[in-house]
This record gives sequence, structure tokens and C-alpha cells, in this order.
Amino acid sequence: MKTSAVFSALVSLLSLASAASSDSNSKSKSSSTSTFTPPQVFKNANLVHVVSVEKNYVKENINVLVENIDKAAQDEYFLPFTADQMSRLGGVEVKDRKDSSAGLFVAEVVEFDQESDIQYLRIRLPKALAPGAQQTLGISYYLLKAYKPLPASIKQEELQYLTYSFSAYLPSAYTTTKQKTEVKFPSGTIPDYTKLPGSGDIQEFPLKQGSKLTYGPFGEKPAGAIEPVTVRFEFNKPVTHVSLLERDIEVSHWGGNVAFEERYTLHHRGANLSSLFNRVKWQQATYYQPTTFALKEMKFPLRVGSEDPYYTDVIGNVSTSRFRSNKREALLEIKPRYPVFGGWKYPFTIGWNSDAKNFLRKTVSGGFVLNVPFLEGPKQPEGVEYEQVQVRVVLPEGAENVKYHTSIPTQSITEGGVEIHRTFLDTIGRTALVIKARNLVDDFRDRELVITYDYPLMAALRKPLIVFGSAVAVFVAAWAVGNLELKFDARKK
Amino acid sequence: MSADPLQVLASAGKGESTRGLLRVIILLLIAAAAIASRLFSVIRFESIIHEFDPWFNFRATKYLVANGFYNFWDWFDDRTWHPLGRVTGGTLYPGLMVTSGIIYHALRALTIPVDIRNICVLLAPACSGLTAVATYLLTNEMTPSPSAGLLAALFMGIAPGYISRSVAGSYDNEAIAIFLLVFTFYLWIKALKQGSMLWGALCALFYGYMVASWGGYAFITCLLPLHAFVLICMGRYSTRLYVSYTTWYALGTLASMQIPFVGFLPVKTSEHMPALGIFGFLQLLAFLDYVRAAMPSRQFQTFLWMFAGGTFGLSLLGLVLATSAGVIAPWGGRFYSLWDTSYAKIHIPIIASVSEHQPTAWPAFFFDLNMLIWLFPVGVYLCFQELADEHVFIVVYAVFGSYFAGVMVRLMLTLTPVVCVAAAIAVSTLLDTYLRAKLPKPEEIQAAEASEGKKGAKSGLKSTSKPVVGVYAIWGKSMMVSALAVYLLIFVLHCTWVTSNAYSSPSVVLASRLPDGSQHIIDDYREAYQWLRQNTREDAKIMSWWDYGYQIGGMADRPTLVDNNTWNNTHIATVGKAMSSSEEVSYPIMRQHEVDYVLVVFGGLLGYSGDDINKFLWMVRIAEGIWPEEISERSFFTPRGEYRVDGEATEAMKNSLMYKMSYYNYNNLFPPGKAMDRMRNSLLPEVGPTLSTLDEAFTSENWIIRIYKVKDLDNLGRDHTSAAAFDRGHKKAKKASKKRGPRRLRVD
Amino acid sequence: MRWPTLFSLALFGTGSLVATAAAKKTPPEERFNVYHAKALASAPVKLSDPSYRELTSSSRDYTVAVLLTAMESRYGCQLCREFQPEWELLARSWTSGDKKGESRLVFGTLDFGDGKDIFMSLGLQTAPVLFLFPPTVGPHATASPEPVRYDFTSGSQAAELVHSWVARHLPDRPHPPIKRPINWMRWISTFVVLSGGLTVSYAAWPYVLPIIQNRTVWAAITLISILLFTSGHMFNQIRNVPYVAGDGRGGISYFASGFQSQYGLETQIVAAMYGVLALSGISLAIKVPRMSDPKMQGVALLAWASVLFVVYSLLLSIFRGKNPGYPFSLPPFM
Repeated sequence: MKTSAVFSALVSLLSLASAASSDSNSKSKSSSTSTFTPPQVFKNANLVHVVSVEKNYVKENINVLVENIDKAAQDEYFLPFTADQMSRLGGVEVKDRKDSSAGLFVAEVVEFDQESDIQYLRIRLPKALAPGAQQTLGISYYLLKAYKPLPASIKQEELQYLTYSFSAYLPSAYTTTKQKTEVKFPSGTIPDYTKLPGSGDIQEFPLKQGSKLTYGPFGEKPAGAIEPVTVRFEFNKPVTHVSLLERDIEVSHWGGNVAFEERYTLHHRGANLSSLFNRVKWQQATYYQPTTFALKEMKFPLRVGSEDPYYTDVIGNVSTSRFRSNKREALLEIKPRYPVFGGWKYPFTIGWNSDAKNFLRKTVSGGFVLNVPFLEGPKQPEGVEYEQVQVRVVLPEGAENVKYHTSIPTQSITEGGVEIHRTFLDTIGRTALVIKARNLVDDFRDRELVITYDYPLMAALRKPLIVFGSAVAVFVAAWAVGNLELKFDARKK
Repeated sequence: MSADPLQVLASAGKGESTRGLLRVIILLLIAAAAIASRLFSVIRFESIIHEFDPWFNFRATKYLVANGFYNFWDWFDDRTWHPLGRVTGGTLYPGLMVTSGIIYHALRALTIPVDIRNICVLLAPACSGLTAVATYLLTNEMTPSPSAGLLAALFMGIAPGYISRSVAGSYDNEAIAIFLLVFTFYLWIKALKQGSMLWGALCALFYGYMVASWGGYAFITCLLPLHAFVLICMGRYSTRLYVSYTTWYALGTLASMQIPFVGFLPVKTSEHMPALGIFGFLQLLAFLDYVRAAMPSRQFQTFLWMFAGGTFGLSLLGLVLATSAGVIAPWGGRFYSLWDTSYAKIHIPIIASVSEHQPTAWPAFFFDLNMLIWLFPVGVYLCFQELADEHVFIVVYAVFGSYFAGVMVRLMLTLTPVVCVAAAIAVSTLLDTYLRAKLPKPEEIQAAEASEGKKGAKSGLKSTSKPVVGVYAIWGKSMMVSALAVYLLIFVLHCTWVTSNAYSSPSVVLASRLPDGSQHIIDDYREAYQWLRQNTREDAKIMSWWDYGYQIGGMADRPTLVDNNTWNNTHIATVGKAMSSSEEVSYPIMRQHEVDYVLVVFGGLLGYSGDDINKFLWMVRIAEGIWPEEISERSFFTPRGEYRVDGEATEAMKNSLMYKMSYYNYNNLFPPGKAMDRMRNSLLPEVGPTLSTLDEAFTSENWIIRIYKVKDLDNLGRDHTSAAAFDRGHKKAKKASKKRGPRRLRVD
Repeated sequence: MRWPTLFSLALFGTGSLVATAAAKKTPPEERFNVYHAKALASAPVKLSDPSYRELTSSSRDYTVAVLLTAMESRYGCQLCREFQPEWELLARSWTSGDKKGESRLVFGTLDFGDGKDIFMSLGLQTAPVLFLFPPTVGPHATASPEPVRYDFTSGSQAAELVHSWVARHLPDRPHPPIKRPINWMRWISTFVVLSGGLTVSYAAWPYVLPIIQNRTVWAAITLISILLFTSGHMFNQIRNVPYVAGDGRGGISYFASGFQSQYGLETQIVAAMYGVLALSGISLAIKVPRMSDPKMQGVALLAWASVLFVVYSLLLSIFRGKNPGYPFSLPPFM
């Protein structure tokens, strides 16, 4: 917990720093007023807001048709969030719905003043939008720690219900002519949800079909209009929350091996137990109703060719794991030592090895290219959310000019840098690339991380030479000592 | 120190460097074998600390590595013996932790950052390799035949009696202590033979190390003076003896007093008095010797001897008086219980309750030493042939070692080295006799007879009065050699079998075989400890029987009330009372001690024998020792004197907290009336016990560990019984169950 | 004990009890003074049926400690006879320590011979039994008139233990300590024996010396003691195990089943086997190679070697009996 605290502090610092920077460049352009409101240069002609609560994190999709109502061409579209949301926001991706060739747009958090509750996400359009022109933006992002269990504590055989609160109208910085909000649920059982007076031919929102609720379509709404809505739905699966994932990737050229180790600090953010754990009920439940909101098992689909995995925790090896490896798959299934219920915590460590040639390439220019998944980890039907992720790639001793590129949304990456890591038989220490990210979810599994570095021959030879040299030194010393006269007992004749 | 064996080994070759080299190689191989044979548990399970005490040593080592030596030295641990705490730095033998701490930092310096856990796990095997070498050296001092030394090293390397305490993961004081024991003896013999002050000082140095490592140092403290005394009685007083003994005693005592835990015991307690007495006696003898050398007059000498005897007697008397007057502390409990064997059982039930303090039945001897046990006397007898000082040592050591081993199982450990040495002497003599190729020639024998005839008589033993002839028959030689080979082979097989089957399970993890023969690991302890560690408050006080104190401290990292360092009988008795009395009595106790969780071990479902119901009687006895009028052992036995848990169980048993916690909710696992305790295979009563002051908090997968949460005071101020009854929907009618009063008596 | 006869006697006696009990009804302090006087004369007071009833009859302002015992040898109550001197010592030193009777405690002994029907009425099956009758009236009166019973669980009890027990039940009253008389006789006798031994040994020194200095003797002593200890003799001492035990079918089982248990005879057998093994080992190592006659040597060699082999195989098989699943064995006892 201490480490995570440190991390959060660190992260806030970083955000401050970035804020300062963005602040400065924004100052250069425009208003340095304390409460910033984006210039009303856009209009949301049509907006569809899709809120998906199928997994244990919230995924929101905003498809909006924006229109420039200003005289001049504009290239900055602002999206408001509350400060609280902003801290839990992650994986923002913006693209043009019409042509996918445009690629991802730059979307970054700008902080004009930390006090105000409204913070903005600035989306830079690749080419400025001419006056009167329109463009369809597809904005998708994730919100972590979004649910509250209701009731907050239940019996261990009862069903778990979660609630999620959001706004029926998208809180936008611009006037919205026409919009509707769709909510997708894991199942059709939605005991209660806020009802709104209807409009037009629909007398009451929302419309419910199957496991889906639809608020709207609504008419024109001014900027910043909101309509709080709360839905409560059955979610009888674990609400798995990884507060910190430390992922170490160690490359060894001599061994031709890449070693992975992942340390999870796992929490269950679901409903707590109203009465303490009862083994009898648990054992009966495993026969009668197999589905429970406790976390019983996790599946890690590893890269094919991964071998000798291990699964330990702070007091040693955990024997309840299975590893299935063959041509097509390498599946690591682990069970926690005890079923993890709401409010419980279970930190653990897994690791495995893999052949270097699955990940490592030698370029024509003599450098090396390492291509590893940025994030692996469990693949659960209910999803997994990661609050803090720290990926550390330990390159061989003496690796130089390290560069990296990752396909993780840039908004989530908080820090990246190179440091020194000392371990077995190191003299100058190994080059370690450390990347920190926040608010990720398991949708980003297998987003890749590409690292290029140089590794000269001398660096490769350093270790054996040093070992050999020191061994020789020891032998010489031993020989010298052996030649000394160390007989205590002078034989008297 | 590393120079010594090499030098000795080199000199042992008598110039023939090839033989010396060969010997070194063989010795290295033996050491490797000793280490390898202790790795069963690591290979079969994992690199894990075993059993109970090692968990404390491990925790202490981690503390030492984390906080440095001086913090370790004055470490006050407030997470044990709540609320008393424990002055850990001053009440432990730091040798083990410091050793592994040094190794840890040395490896760091060599840029080999090994996890401290692995160092702790592998320390014992590593030391066993050294022990083998030390045994080789010790044996070489005993006999000219070099093969004896190698055999002794081999025996020591694989003898189960020593393996039992030194497998990988049993990170206990004995791990290094046995090496130190043997090496100290070697240095003592060396010093005695050469009368060299240097060797004496070395001996004292290692004695100091031994004191820092193990409470068993008292064995050396008593054995060396005894040896000296016997030598004096045999009229073998010599300046060699004087120099070596005085050097050892003076320096060694100073060294031992540096350990806080030992402090001034060496001059205060009786178990150290023999050493002091002999020291004084030697001074006296030296003085008399000098005087006698000065003036050779017979009467004067006799007078002097009388005088010497008189002073000795007087000093002995004075010692006794001082002891009775209380100037010198009488024998400490553990140590005294070795002499008065019934002492512990009556006065210190805690000591008696420890399984390794039980006396040793003969199968244990054979199990731990196999054929060495009957080769042992042979070797001792051979020591009588030419009875040099070092042989006297072996004889004395043999007698006392076997006595102690007979009284206490764990002291098998101190017996094993001498058994190995003696057996090696015997086997090597046999081999030397029957492996000699050349056949004896009659005329040589006549010559030998003639020559031996004169000086044969002076040899001590009647059996060795005649000269050695040698064996005529080739068939006889081959038969004997092959038979010996068979015995040795069986010995090796036996040792391997015993080690792998008996001594290699880390009692934290239990292994069972599935029907298909595959190994299934039962990991309940760690499941429960991990749960405690992750899902309870950092400072939640755990109450359990003292056996599990160290494990809870080490694995669950939570404060405990009592643990395996049983320094406070009353505190343990308090826990025993809480466990063995009814809820109404124990709840206030638990509140007073701020207990949050109670942990019991229950083997009923799995048929696991080491559970708390089986240990329960000891809790009762220990509690009865302090509160005789509240707890009575008898009330836990049925009128027919049986100890039962089923329907027949006595009221005291059924109402005891331990019983309730063990069987709470248990019968819901079974169809009604079929609830079965597989450990004591007895059918449990139809309705299970009810708990009103505790909540079941966690139960491990196989029910081995059950954790209960102590309820907070009731919000409505009701007592818990009625509150629980109310919750169960009963009327208030349910009355608090009363404790049994004195037996009723009809007076008419 | 011969209960049938006792029963008949008791039945015969019970008729008269009530009468006697009812007859004597004197005020408590008087009673106490009477019995305290008796006690001063000879503590503990020797009681009989009526006196017992009178002393323990309710409305007493004093405490009574009564030992119900069966001293007569025909009842074969070992414990009674062991405990009796301790009990008398306790009673004597307490009473003498408290002449004025401030502790208001009377020690009484009721032998089975004198009070059969008391035993019967109490339904006592065993002896000795020690009752402490708390006072029912007066300053020290306790709630329940029921006597407290001392249980002789762990064998015979030292007077000190009983003293502490009594003292525990008599709070805020003087507790005269126990004064063990110094056993002069023992000291004198030991002194005499010691000095006598010394003189004898001094006189016989020339003859004793060679024995003391004889190496073989010492070797024998050493080996025997080693064999004793390594064959689990101390275990027998501490656990005082039975010498032999009968198996279910009327026969005798020489070897206890189970790894942690053994019989006396068993250990002796094992010690003997160790001895034989060691002896043959010694002979093979020392005697045989010193034989000058080839024939004799061959015979001896064969004999000792075979003895060694057979006995060791027997030992292994016995151990296998103790520890089922032990895989190793030698012919002929496979």
C-alpha cells in the first residue's frame, strides 16, 4: 500500500508538471482567466453517447457530429469532465468516424486551474475545421472505480448489485442540438433505474429493450446541461481492481531468454460480506450455485512458447495453479489461496520465461528491436481494471541509446525513463526502461511496446571477462597464501 | 580457519601428495553428498522455512539484515507476547542470524544478491558439509589410520540423527551448532595433544561462537572439565592439560559472557560450576607439581596429595553450601530435568509438553543411527586399546552422550558425532584387518611372538595381549569384506530412506497422495496465514496456542499473545485457561488481552494428528498449574477415565472454548447425525456447539485452521449469550451454562 | 478391597446412625474446643462413626479437614499408607503451630475400620479421600455447607501441596507452616556407612587398586552403560513402562506395537542383541587376527561373522515389526 501511495503522489506531481507545461503553451494563445470556459466555436449537431457497464469498468463511446459555427477555422475541441472523473479517466482515444486513415487524434488533459471542479480534455483536430464545416468524432474512454455496490454488504450466497450514476445528457462544452444516451448492461435484470419524462411520442425515458436502456433522443440542450441518472443492475461477478501492477521484462542475450514477472496488488471492489466467511456455505455453494461474486480463478493466456511459469505470494509458492502449454496456446490458470470477496485483498506474483527469438530482432544497423506486449495479465469475462501500471524492461548491461514506442493511448502514460538496475555479477548495472501508466483496462492487453537499443560487443563480453579475471585473481592470491609459512606448531627436534 | 583443514589434509598425506589430493577430493565429495542428501524438501516442495522455531529465526534474520546489527542487538519486539512484548535482542542466541547476515552481505559485496530466504534455507546443509570435514579432522586425531577419518566424515554426512535437524529449511540453531560442537572438540583435542596455547585459544574462540549459537553449549561446558577430571584421576596430569584447559576456560568464559543472553550465568549457575572447579583444581595441581619438582621427598608428596584432595573436597563442599544458600543459582529447569527426569513433568509442564523433550525409545536410536548403534560400542572398546588422552575423551563423551540422548530425544544430536567417530574407528579397523593382501608367514609370527612376549603384557586390555598375526584365509577376508560392504550399503539405503520419508517434510505444507498416485499439496496453514495477513488490521492480536506463535509472526505478520519462546509460564497458562474454560470465563480474558482473532488447528476433517484437541490436555495442565481451583484436568476425563470428544464428552470438555471452536458448524458438513471426527474417529453429537462471544471469521480449505473473530461488546449492553440466543430467535430462557461445582455429597 | 463384606457390615450399621447423630447436639464452639484439645494431644484426631458425625454436623463455626482412609493392609490401599505420614506431619505441625486454635481448623482421620457406614453413606468406592468442611456459622461461614474434596490425581501428595490447598480454602486465617523434623537417624547412619566404607576401602586399597586400574573392567562398565542407554533404558525409567504385556489371546507379547512405545523386556532383548553384535564385532576386529593357528582362526572367523550376520538380520526384522513399512531386511529373517 505504501508503494501505491508513493505512486499516486508521484502521479499527481507529474500531472501538475504536465499541467504547468500545457498551461504555459495555452497561456501563449489565449485567456489566462481563473475559470476557463472554452470558446463557443462548435456545435454538436448530433450526438450518440453509449455507456457500457457490461464489465467491471465503464466504457463510454461518444459519436458526435461537430460543426464549426465560428468565423475562423478551429482545431481545438474541448470535452469537460469533473475532477473526480478526470482522476479515474483512462484510455482516451479519438478518431474520425468517416475516414479511419486519419489515425488517432491527439487528446490531452489541460489544467487551466486546479481548483475548479470542471477539467477539460483538449482534442486537437489534425487539420483545422473550416467555418461551417462538419466532422464526426468518435471519442472513446474508460472510467475506473465507477460502481458502488448496493446493498454495500451482502451474504456470501446472495447476488451482487452495482449502481452507476451518470448524466442523461452528455455534459458538453457546446450546445447540443440532438443527442441520445444508450446504456448497455451485462444482463437484462435491472431492478431500478431513474425515469425521466419523455418527449415527443415517447412518454417516458428510458426505453428498455433486452439488456439495453436508451435515454433520449433529447432536443437542444445548452452547454454544460446535465441530468443525473442512476442505474442499479445485477453484476454477480467479481469487481476485480488491480491497484498496482509491476511488470518486469528482463532480456538476456547470453541466455537467449526473456523473463517476465508480474506483481499484482489485487482488490475486490464489490459488495462486502455482511456476515464473515463461512466455509460450510462456501463448500455447499460450489455444488449448488457455481456462480458467485467472489474471485475464484484467473486465466492468463500467455504468448505461445512461454515456459516454466511460477505463481507465488509473499509467503511462498501457491500450489493451486495449472499451466496448459502446446502449439496453439500457453494458458496459465491460477486460483487465489482463498476466494476473494468484496473488500478483500490478494497480492500475488506470477512469472514465466520465453525464448528471446519470439521477441528480439537484430536490425541491419546492428541495433536490436524488442517487441513485447505492454500489458498481459488475466483475461476475465468480467474484465480487469488497472489503476497503476509500471512496466520495467531490464536490458543487458551496457545497452545504449534506448528508444521506445507503444500503442497505449498517450493520455494514460504518465512517465517513461531509463534507469540503472543492479543484479547478479553486474559492475556498471543494467539499463532499465521504466514506463508508468494509469487507468488501463484489460482491453489494452497485447498493445505492443517496441524498444530499440544498441548493444556493442564489448558490453556483451564484459561479464565473462570480469568473472574470469576475478577467478584468476583469487587463484593467484590462494597460491601466494599457500606459499607463506603458516605453521603455528614449530616442530621442536 | 579455512587454512587449517587444508594444512592438516596436506600433512595427513605424509608427503605423498597424491594421497593427500585424493583425500581432499573424497572429502569434497562426501561434503557434496551430505549437502545433496538434505535437499529432498526443496526439490519435493520448494525453498521454504520449516516447522516452528525456524520461522522466528528467519524473522529475526530479516530484521537483522534490514536494521543492522546494533538495532538487532537491542531489539524490543512488541508484536509478540502482547501486551508484554519481548526483549528479543537480549533473549536469543544471535549466532545463527549473524552468520547468515554475514553470508548475505558477503554475497552482496560479490554482486550476487541472493534472497535472504534462500540463504536461511540452505544454511543448514552447507554447515553439514563443514561438519563432515570437522568430523574427519576429529577422527584423524584418534587413530593413525586415515581411512577412519573419511568413514567418520561419511557417517556424519548422512547419519539421520544429524540430518533430522539439518535438512534444507530447518533453519534452527542446531544447524550451525553441531559443526561448532565437533570443531570445538577437534580443537580441544589438538590443544590437549600439543599443549599449545594457540590451539587452546582457537578452541575458546569457537567455544564462544558455539555459546552465541546454541543453548546446548552447556554440553561442552560440562564435557571438557569432565574429561580433564577423568584424566587427572587417571594420574595423567600434565602441563599440556594445564595449558590447554586454562587457556580454554579463561578465554572461553570471557567470550561466552559477551552474549547478553548468557551474561553472568557462567559464574552464577551450577551447570557452569564444574568448569570453574576443575580450573581451580588444576591451578592447585600445578602448584603442587611445581613444589614436588622443587623438593623430592616422599612423605611431603603424600602429605601434599592429601592436602590436594582435602582442598578439592572442601571446595566441593563450599560449592554445595553456596548453592543451597542461593549464592549460586541452582540448576536451571531445562538443564535440571536432564538429571531428575521426573522433575519437568511435575514442575514445568511446558518443558514436558514439548515433543522433543520426551525420552528416547530404542527404535528411535536404531532409526537415527542404524548399524552405527552397534558399531559404536566396538569403536569405544577399540579406544581402550591404547588409552591415550584423546581416547579417554571419546569414552567419556560416549557414556554421557548416550545418557543424555536416552533422556531427551533432541539430544540424539549431540550423541551422533561420537557415534560416527567410534563406528568409523571400528569399521576402519575391520577393513584394515581384512583388506590386507599379504598372508602372514608362520616364522615371522614366531619372531613376533618372541618379541611381543615381553612387551605384550603392558598393553592394557587382556584381549590385546597377544600380537597381531593377520588373517590366513582368503575366503575369510573376502567374506568379511563383502559382508561389511553389504552392511554399509544397507546403511546408506537406510539413511536415504529415512531422510526422504521422515525428515524432509516442512510441516507447514502437508503432502498427500491422490488415488492416481500424484502428489497433492495441502496448504491450509499458508492459506489461513495469508488471509490473516491481507484481510485483517495490521495490529490485530491473534490468540492461539503457543506452538503457532512463531508461524503467525513470520507468515501472517500479526501480533501474538504467546509463542514458542516459552519464557512466561503465566501468560501461556492464561491462554490455556481461555482455551479450556467456558465462554463466559474466557471472553473477559480475551477482552483484557485485546484479542481480535482466535486461531485453532483442527484435524478432524482430514485426520491430521497434530491438532489442538490432541494438545488440549497440555493447555489444561498448564492452566491448572496456575489456577488449580478453576481448571482441573480430571474434569476433562469421563468417569471411566477416557478422553472423549463425542456424545460422552464431559461437560467441561463440551463447554470449553477449544472444543466449541474446533467443532463449530462442523456437523453441517455431514448429513444429520453423521458428523464424524476422522482424527479421533468418533461420532459427534447430533447438534453442534453454539458460540455466542465469537464469530467464525475464516476456515481453511481442509478445515485445518479455523479463525474466529472476538465479538465486540453488545450494542444493547446485553451479555452475548442472551444476544446470540435472541439472534437465533430463542426466548431469553437459555441460561448461561454454569461451571461444575465440587462433587455433591449426601449427608444424612 | 473386599467390598462385599464391608457392604454387609455397613448395612448392619446404618440403622443406628441417625440416633447417634441426633443425640449429641452440643454448641459448635464447645465441640471445637473439645476436639482442638484432643488434636493438641495427638493430631490428627482419630475419628469414629459418632465422632465424625458430631464433628461434621452442620452449624459449625470451625473448619474440619477429614481424611477418610483405609490403613489396614488387607485393603491393600497403597496410596493410603504412603500419604498417612505426610498427613500426620501436616496435622501435627499445623496444630502445634496454632495452639490457641485461631485458624479454627480441626484435623481428623477416619479409618475405614472405624467408620465403615460413613464410607457407605458417602458412597465412597476409593480411598483415601480428603474432605474440607467449611464453617456454616460464624465469621468464616461460607455459602454452601458442602465439603470441598481434594483429589489425589497425581499419586501420593507431599504435605506441602496439601498445606497450600488447605491454606487456599482458609483465607484471612493464620496458616502455620510445615516443620519437617530433621531425620537424625538417617544422617547418622549415612555418616557411619560412609566412614565405614572409607576405612574398609583404605584397608583393602592394595587389593582394590588393581581392579580400579584394570582397563578391562572399565571397558566392561563403559560398554554396559552405553548398551543400557542406547537400548532405551532411560525411557523405561521415566515412563515406567510394563515389563511385558499380554496380547489379547492370553499369550505374552514381548514387543510393544508402535514406534514410540516399548516394554522392559523388549529393551533388554535389544540390549542383548546390541551386545552380541558388538561382541562379535570386537572379536572380529581384535581376537581373530591374533589367533596364530589357521584352523582355529578360520572357525572363529566363520562363527563370529555368521553370528553377526544372523543377529543383525534378526534386529532388522524386529525393527520392521516396530515400524511397518520399513523396506530393508537381510536373510534369514526376511
